[in-house]
Amino acid sequence: MTVRMIDQGVIELTGRCGADEAEVLQHQLLAAPGAVVEWTRCEHLHSAVIQVLLAAGRLMQGTPNTVFLADFIAPILTRSAVRQRTAQGLRAASQAAEEEQRDGL
Amino acid sequence: MDELLAQFLIESRELVDKAADDLLALEKAPGDRQRFEDAFRAFHTLKGGAGIVEFAAMQTALHCAEDALAAARSESRPVSSLDIGNCLSCLDQVAEWLDAIESTGAVPVDADPADIVALFAQAAGSEPIAVPRASNAEWIDGLLRAHPAVAPRAQTALRYTPAADSFFRQQDPVATIAGLPGLLALDLRQREAWPTLDELDPFACNLTIEALLAPDSATALAALGDEARHCEIETLRGRPHAADSDSLVRKAAELLDAQVHLLESAENTEQLGRIASAGLVATNVLRHVGRSAEADAVATAAAVAIAERRLQPLLEALAAAVQGPPPAEVAAVPAERRGAKQTVRVSAERIDVLVRLIGELVVSSNAMGHVTKLAEQWSSPLTGTLKNQHAALGRLVAELQRAVVGMRVLPLSAVFRRFPRLVREMSAELKKPATLVLEGEETEADKAIVETLVEPLVHVLRNALDHGVEDAAARVAAGKPPVATIRLRAYRQREHVVVEVTDDGAGIDIAKIKQIAHDRRLLPADELAALTDQESLNLIFLPGFSTAKTITHVSGRGVGMDAVRTAASRVGGHVDVRSALGKGTTVRVTLPFSVLVTQVMTVEAGGQLFGIPLDAVVETLRVDKDKIFPVGAAHAIVLHDRTIPLVRLAEMLADRADVRWDDTGPIVIAQLGGELGAVQVDRIGERIDVILKPLDGLLAGLPGLAGSTLLGDGSVLLVLDLAEFVR
Repeated sequence: MTVRMIDQGVIELTGRCGADEAEVLQHQLLAAPGAVVEWTRCEHLHSAVIQVLLAAGRLMQGTPNTVFLADFIAPILTRSAVRQRTAQGLRAASQAAEEEQRDGL
Repeated sequence: MDELLAQFLIESRELVDKAADDLLALEKAPGDRQRFEDAFRAFHTLKGGAGIVEFAAMQTALHCAEDALAAARSESRPVSSLDIGNCLSCLDQVAEWLDAIESTGAVPVDADPADIVALFAQAAGSEPIAVPRASNAEWIDGLLRAHPAVAPRAQTALRYTPAADSFFRQQDPVATIAGLPGLLALDLRQREAWPTLDELDPFACNLTIEALLAPDSATALAALGDEARHCEIETLRGRPHAADSDSLVRKAAELLDAQVHLLESAENTEQLGRIASAGLVATNVLRHVGRSAEADAVATAAAVAIAERRLQPLLEALAAAVQGPPPAEVAAVPAERRGAKQTVRVSAERIDVLVRLIGELVVSSNAMGHVTKLAEQWSSPLTGTLKNQHAALGRLVAELQRAVVGMRVLPLSAVFRRFPRLVREMSAELKKPATLVLEGEETEADKAIVETLVEPLVHVLRNALDHGVEDAAARVAAGKPPVATIRLRAYRQREHVVVEVTDDGAGIDIAKIKQIAHDRRLLPADELAALTDQESLNLIFLPGFSTAKTITHVSGRGVGMDAVRTAASRVGGHVDVRSALGKGTTVRVTLPFSVLVTQVMTVEAGGQLFGIPLDAVVETLRVDKDKIFPVGAAHAIVLHDRTIPLVRLAEMLADRADVRWDDTGPIVIAQLGGELGAVQVDRIGERIDVILKPLDGLLAGLPGLAGSTLLGDGSVLLVLDLAEFVR
């Protein structure tokens, strides 16, 4: 098992995560919306797994051991997570502003 | 003239020169991609400029040239000699129009590009002219901007869009890119906006992978293998170097080969997929190495193969592509691209004004020297101060001179660049194949000198090709290569610039020269007979001498080597010739580095003051009266075991027989066109820097005078051309 829920707050990726683990990860992420993804012991992520992480926009925890993951994939995932959060935050803020306006009227 | 038009003129002229250079270089090395691109760019920029000043005729003409070049590019063939000729004609026409703009200050309304259009239409025949595909590369810009740190090292940009079912097919696209050699940067993008996590299909690939790679695109192409068909690969900087290009071609050939093997080993059931895939990869590969014609052929063949459900058409097209000629060989690209230097464009006239002013300043400084001497004579208490100030002024003026001379300095390439074309045309006209080799074109000289060189060199080159070089048959018979070599070599020799034109032609037949000189009564027979070989050679410099049997368009227009000598001596230079029968001829033009300042020595003779250019003076000496011995009607002295003809300046200048001169006066030994001459004067004065002005008015054309200059006391000093005296 390379994708597992450690506790409610952390999903850990270890070793080589293949294509078929994308779906497992997807389910776990859906089950724990607030969880971060710990990947210090991860050695390889299949494109399908990376795709799930990009779509989920979760923050990653730790630094993986391989150069490729640390140097090339980590920044992409971080950017994606930040972008999604900002987008979510903006949406929430504008929703709140609209509601306020409506209430005011 | 309006400023825009003025700027357009300056830039267009530069571009015309540049384009002509590139075309000529391209003719020598048709595979030189860099030159090709340079030429193409020059034409394109010229056309753009024409559009800005709304000069439609020029735009049309240049468009034709551009099309011809583009056609060569899209067909991946070297530019033909015909195309180059046509493009040069187009540049000629453009230059003519530019002249018209310069003289009238407006775009010529009657300019007609029809001739140029016809020229290119004829060359193109009925074939439609292909337009190069522009690659839409916004993603590359974005990628480079996102990774500024590695962008300068990246040679290749890659965008990989894996098939949506690639995860099913056991592919890991990100890992594929991770495995590429020299990965510098990676970006992952979604093809369609990410759905919410619960709606995401984890098995459908929605990724686009963009990457920057350090190695050339061929390396990436080879490493990607079959997946290359899902990639856009762009070479980022410059063109691949010759060696890379070789490997590119080799790798491309390997990939093509691999496709053939794939197809041949395919089972019937999977054939269609294989055909499509192999066809795509091969097309991609061929397009990438610039063989788009073959790429199109393969793509068509693949379509036919799929439609007919058989391999044969594609296999044939691939075999043709594999064995087909490699793309035009890529000549070594001149790596040297000068770093951007900060320059200010200043018109030549402004610098000329500065030069004139410096001239006046020199005269003024000399005047102060005169005043200083007067003060000395009157034992003025100011003498010391004056002397110091004069010395300081002298130094400053000298420095200023050097600086201004430096501003006017041009590399000889400014003139040399027009010669390859001249030789090309003359060689075609005379049907004597010849190549021009340029050496030392980076040698610099004062602009005025560089410009002086044009006319003489044109004459010399014409002569070399017309009279010097034999036709191909005669050359082969003489055991020489059929194509003649004319070498134009420039170098700096102390304060002089020397330009040599050497041909490997027949050499000058001295007997023939003497015969012609005799026939044209240029010299009396007895004098002719007494001439040494070198002196006989020099007969070609006599006015009215021309050895051409027939008047040709190229030379023999009544201007010959005498024109060359006149032009050179006008700026204080000289010309000499050496020749070996059957081996070739060298004409050497020696000119001063700068016309700005001439050092002269003042001498007195017959009660008058004259100047002698110091660069001609070898030494000055006194000899006893009895060491001067008569030779016929003239005199001579013996110096270092050489007999040197001697003239007495006062005697030469005297219009009356009763002028007295000092026959024990000092003697100036001068170097005159390779020979020594001695001139006896009454007194030797000082050395001064002068600005030599050519004689005009009444004195113009007077033999024996090189020019005049103003002295510090306001009087005029005539500067002698000693060569005329000793002759």
